[in-house]
Amino acid sequence: MAEKRERYQNRIELLQGTLDLLILQTLQWGAQHGYGISVAIRNRSGEILQVDTGSLYPALHRLQKQKWIKSEWKISENNQRAKYYRLTATGKRQLTRERSKWAHLSDAIAGVLNPFEDENEP
Amino acid sequence: MRFPWWSRKQRQELDEELHTHLEMAARERMERGEEKNEAARAARREFGNLGLVKEVTREMWGWSWLADLYEDLRFGARVLRKSPGFAIVAILSLALGIGATTSVFSVVYGVLMNPYPYAHSDRMVHLVAHDTAGNRRFVNLNGSQLQQLQKASCIESAAAMDEWNLTTTEGDLPEDVQAVYLTSNSFVHFGVPTLLGRGLLPSDAPDGEDPESVAVLGYKFWQRHFQGDPDIVGKKIQLVHKTYSIVGVVPPRFTWGDGEVYLPLKVTAEPARTFFIMIRLKPGVTRAAANAEFQSLLEQFAQQTPTHFPEHFHVTLEGLNDQFVSDIGGTLFLLLAAVALLLLIGCGNVSILLLARATARQHELAVRSAIGAERSRLLRQLLTESLMLSITGAIVGVALANGLVKLIVNWLPEFSFPHEAAISINLPVLCFSVGLALLTGIAFGISPALQSARPDIAQVMQSNTRKMTVGVHGRRTHGFLIAGQIALTLLLLAGAAVAMQGFLRIVNMNLGYDPHNVMSVGIPVHDNTYTTWEARSAFFHQLLRKVSFMPEVVAAGLSTNATPPNNGWEQRFEISGKPAAEQQRARINFVSSGYFSVLRIPLQQGRLWDETETLRGAKLALINQTLAHQYFPNGDAIGGELRMPEMKGEPPFRLAVPGSDSWFQIIGVVSDALDDGLQKPIKAGVYVPYTISMPVFTQILVRTQVPPLTTLHSIREQIHTIDPDQQAERDVRDLDGWIRVQPEWGSGHLVATLFAGFAVLALALAATGLYSVISYAVAQRTAEFGIRMALGARGKDVLLIVFRSAAVNVAGGVLAGVVLTILLNRVLARWIQGSSLNIPILFGVVLLLVATAGLSCFVPARRASSVDPMTALRYE
Repeated sequence: MAEKRERYQNRIELLQGTLDLLILQTLQWGAQHGYGISVAIRNRSGEILQVDTGSLYPALHRLQKQKWIKSEWKISENNQRAKYYRLTATGKRQLTRERSKWAHLSDAIAGVLNPFEDENEP
Repeated sequence: MRFPWWSRKQRQELDEELHTHLEMAARERMERGEEKNEAARAARREFGNLGLVKEVTREMWGWSWLADLYEDLRFGARVLRKSPGFAIVAILSLALGIGATTSVFSVVYGVLMNPYPYAHSDRMVHLVAHDTAGNRRFVNLNGSQLQQLQKASCIESAAAMDEWNLTTTEGDLPEDVQAVYLTSNSFVHFGVPTLLGRGLLPSDAPDGEDPESVAVLGYKFWQRHFQGDPDIVGKKIQLVHKTYSIVGVVPPRFTWGDGEVYLPLKVTAEPARTFFIMIRLKPGVTRAAANAEFQSLLEQFAQQTPTHFPEHFHVTLEGLNDQFVSDIGGTLFLLLAAVALLLLIGCGNVSILLLARATARQHELAVRSAIGAERSRLLRQLLTESLMLSITGAIVGVALANGLVKLIVNWLPEFSFPHEAAISINLPVLCFSVGLALLTGIAFGISPALQSARPDIAQVMQSNTRKMTVGVHGRRTHGFLIAGQIALTLLLLAGAAVAMQGFLRIVNMNLGYDPHNVMSVGIPVHDNTYTTWEARSAFFHQLLRKVSFMPEVVAAGLSTNATPPNNGWEQRFEISGKPAAEQQRARINFVSSGYFSVLRIPLQQGRLWDETETLRGAKLALINQTLAHQYFPNGDAIGGELRMPEMKGEPPFRLAVPGSDSWFQIIGVVSDALDDGLQKPIKAGVYVPYTISMPVFTQILVRTQVPPLTTLHSIREQIHTIDPDQQAERDVRDLDGWIRVQPEWGSGHLVATLFAGFAVLALALAATGLYSVISYAVAQRTAEFGIRMALGARGKDVLLIVFRSAAVNVAGGVLAGVVLTILLNRVLARWIQGSSLNIPILFGVVLLLVATAGLSCFVPARRASSVDPMTALRYE
């Protein structure tokens, strides 16, 4: 069991920055419950990103503790009680920061991977 | 792992959230056409390990320090439960120290440091005049002198009071009511707001007119007589047929003069009428400056009214509490010293126990750190354990302090502390002693962790715990603690023995009279009644006759001032034909001839006066043996004459026969009986017929077959038949009771019982301390003893080894204790009167201590010597 737990924790670590960004981005379109978030990420990534529940829920609870998201119990479209998360004002600011950080990161990585693309295009 | 402090709600919500997730996933699969059971299974598979998801999510809640604490507490409780003896002794040691120190200090604070509710009570004083023989007496002044006094430059305010016994005249039998008459500025002077209504005002007693009939009730009287009626203000009370309207009630701590009602005082211009004076000095005025000013002022007054002052006197001011401090201050400070010792011994005991355990637990700690426990985590664990002990000890200690305060208050000598005192647990001291207990717990509790912080783990683990003997360092600390504890215990035991010896001396004192089955019924005479000598002597005679004819009464006597053991009116006297010494004084007692048979004071020589001599106020005198020996060494007292030049009447208060200050014939000598308290030598005494000089008060002494107080009601009824308004005092005691209210008896009793109690506790603590150290040592050397015995040592040899290891510490402690006791003997002798340290006491105490120590060693030593060698060797 200790070993399994270790594995989960490692994944959180690996995904942490990105998963936070993905969750915050998903919530920008409106309040959503945990399952909804995982489905949204899966669909929007073209079924590529499968969010592990052992990473998703700790991340949600942590983001809530950091006051970037808030939760409340609401009735879902299927008439079921579910816990909905929604962005707070600080969460929105954090999202902007995370997005620009991501943009810088992906630009930088793209630059490293394709050093001559810019000159070749024209 | 389950953490109960995460709220149930929080956990349920997480369960529900994850459950919803699973349901949603399954529903979507079913919508895509999967079969129901299959969908649920697939959803769960996709979800992963539900329990694990919950756990990792919960970790985000960030309460893990609390989880650790919970762990520590549970583990600590388990460890302590495994050795209940250790836990109980440690907790009790701390609790006793805390409880005793806090309670005694609370009493000291309440009685000596902050007893009064009055404003600026530190500046409130009384005038005291000392004559050349060192006698002190309060100075009373008349109305015009009071007015002059109020102009003195060092005085902020001055008020006057008078006391009188009144009665209620509404019920079956008249009830005695202690009235305190106060000048109308008194409530401003005291500066204490009333509980209900108002205090006395200047308009209640206009100058030169009769005061208004208004009364302010004392708190206790209000509770007793009116059952604490909240609407009392505006109602009436009848006292000696006069109706007063009640204008207010004072708060419980306002007990000035132990008054039951406070009435306005009429200050008249009559020079003979004097009042007790209450003074508050201006801030910053020194006693010396004030004494000087009052000295010259009072010398002027003495010229106006010479009879109110001693011949040559000097004036001093006495603070409100000065008398009480000298009565009981020493006693209380002595007790405080005793409990401080007890607290030290208690803390010492806890340190010893914790250290002994620490040594025994070194192996456990080494194992735990070997399998990866961090040092800080171990420290925290040990800290939690010792704090659990200390805090439990503190809680028990607080409860104990509460109970002990009540006990001490009940035992305080009744008239040796101010009745204003509100004695309750003193918070700063409680915090101090609890703090000390916690600190002891912490300091000694974590010492094993500090030791094993740099342990040679391998060495500790390889050496089998049980075989390991205590390191030299540990043993030396134990030795010092044990020796210190024994020294302090010896000091406490010696103090207790001295105190008990002193008290026993008082209890077994030869009184010179027989107090059993005798009571003294005080009868205060009302203002303006029986104002002639004939009327008053007839009234007193009738009282005595009525009571002595009652069937329950064996014998009755009358005295106006002679209830022993502290009796008589000290006056100058002269013997005819002999030059009077400068300070030739005796205690003058006014009694009926029946007085001597009631108290069983034997007549040594001569005769008593008879009834007709009493009724005509014959100038006859009996003297006690002390006077006879001192002034008639040849045994020729009878037939001699003496006179008391100060003995004059002061009508209408004191009614005397004509020529009461002239010569009296000595007709007999009676045996000595105590007349100046329980500890001082008997003073020269003179007995004269009570009719010679009668004040507004008398006492009937009654000897009965049954316990005397049971006949009190019938006596009250008899008095009632003579005068329907005449009450007896409410507070009537038998003569054993009069002995118990003597300050010497009260403080002796308090010191002896509490000191003895504390000493026994200290002895018990020292014994358990020694016992546990030896037990641990023996347990650790079990294997060693096994080897020794396998090699041929006998049980006796092992016994000796154990004893020898303890003997050094015990002997050192006893020696230090004896030295300490002898050094402190002076202090002890000053505070415990009538008793001092002597060789038998010291010897007895040492013997008791050594015997107790021997027993505490013997039990574990016996266990060591009776061990089977094979078992001991295999014993891990």
